[in-house]
Amino acid sequence: MVGLHYKMSNIDDRKIIEGIIADDDAVIEKFYRDHLPHVRNYILQNSGSEDDVGDVFHDALMVIYQKIGDNSLEITSSLKTYFFAICRNMWLSRLRVNKRYVMDDTVLTNIEGEDVSIQETIENSEKEHIYRKYFLTLSDACQKVLSMVFLDKTMREIAAETGYSEGYARKKKYECKQALMERIEKDPMYKELKKTTED
Amino acid sequence: MERTQELFEKIEEYLAEALPPEEMEAFENEMAIDPALALEVSKQRELHRVLSDTKALEFRKKIENIYQDIRAEEEAEKEVEEATTKKRTSFSIQHNSSSFSYWKIAAAFIVLLGIGNLLWNNLQQAGKNSDLYLSHYVPYPAEDVTRGHVVTKLDIVMKQYANGEYQAVIGELEQLTAMSKIEQLRLYLGNSYLNTGKEKEAIQQFENVSDTSKFYEDATWYRALSYLKLGQSDKSIPILKEIISYNGLYREKAIQLMNKLEN
Repeated sequence: MVGLHYKMSNIDDRKIIEGIIADDDAVIEKFYRDHLPHVRNYILQNSGSEDDVGDVFHDALMVIYQKIGDNSLEITSSLKTYFFAICRNMWLSRLRVNKRYVMDDTVLTNIEGEDVSIQETIENSEKEHIYRKYFLTLSDACQKVLSMVFLDKTMREIAAETGYSEGYARKKKYECKQALMERIEKDPMYKELKKTTED
Repeated sequence: MERTQELFEKIEEYLAEALPPEEMEAFENEMAIDPALALEVSKQRELHRVLSDTKALEFRKKIENIYQDIRAEEEAEKEVEEATTKKRTSFSIQHNSSSFSYWKIAAAFIVLLGIGNLLWNNLQQAGKNSDLYLSHYVPYPAEDVTRGHVVTKLDIVMKQYANGEYQAVIGELEQLTAMSKIEQLRLYLGNSYLNTGKEKEAIQQFENVSDTSKFYEDATWYRALSYLKLGQSDKSIPILKEIISYNGLYREKAIQLMNKLEN
């Protein structure tokens, strides 16, 4: 996370973005407290559950985080409007993919008319959210082993760092990855995304 | 396509470009004629790409934790609000009835105290069965496990559990465990069984925690202790060995207990 080349007019919003870049817990927590009620109301009124609220909020914030990371965040109005528009579009898109009932039946629109790529970003990042979500449900031991695998560490390095034998580390890596892939593939949204990709 | 360890390792070597040139070519030819293999390789490539971004993962973990804290706080506030409303209603009812109600409340209180004493005695009695069990058993700590629509009920149950009201929480925990995917609930239900003389039921709950769950090691430790409480140390020992080889949080405790069992 290096970029500071975002375009933004509001000073408070700028502080929030800088807080996210600086990994500032207090700023992120305030962001949740300020915006959660609005997002929650919208999702609960549109066939969603409290679990959906959490998922959409986290995933929308990840979209912002990644747009900061690749220096593509451009907001000319307010972060609040921009963020809510991501949440709303993300939720409507998920409802449609899962063919669930939609109260708010307006068509998906470009957010604020300013960042035309955001809808595409939302759709493209859906699988990434699912991967991260399920990775974080694995045991600490599995997360540790797989993190090292994804960072291209050798089995010898993994064994040395975990204290496992190489044979056990290899078996553990296989079991953990297998469990992760099974959990991902059981996700209803993932199944639908897969179908869409294959069509 | 069967996902074997061998297949995973081959795909990983392919993605890391660590295969010798002739094997690389053969693997690519195989993918060209086997769409299932090609799809599997593509899935794993995507998984590696996304999950190698450790900063994004850490950020995701952080925001999930922040959200869980906020949810716990919201539920606690809701509970206080509900309790205040109930208190007001109860106060109003008392004012409308005769003073005999106070005696009823006092009697109910005495009964509750009696139940508390009975539970305590049961716990004590069970504890005498094994000094070793007692010296190693600590109830699984009550934490925030709130998620989703069952949250209010769960929050109340967790407070009762934290107060040691194991008998009182069993019914609710049985229902919640059946309804929810939160594996941590099995630890609470198992511990509640363990504290009310239902060791076999406890073992069943601990066995049902998946070996890929982050609560597997906790469940394994309590499974070993459950057998110990039943006086079946021969069943505890292999479980303790598994914990020691797992090399996690309970390793030291498992080694200490093993030493005492074997001496």
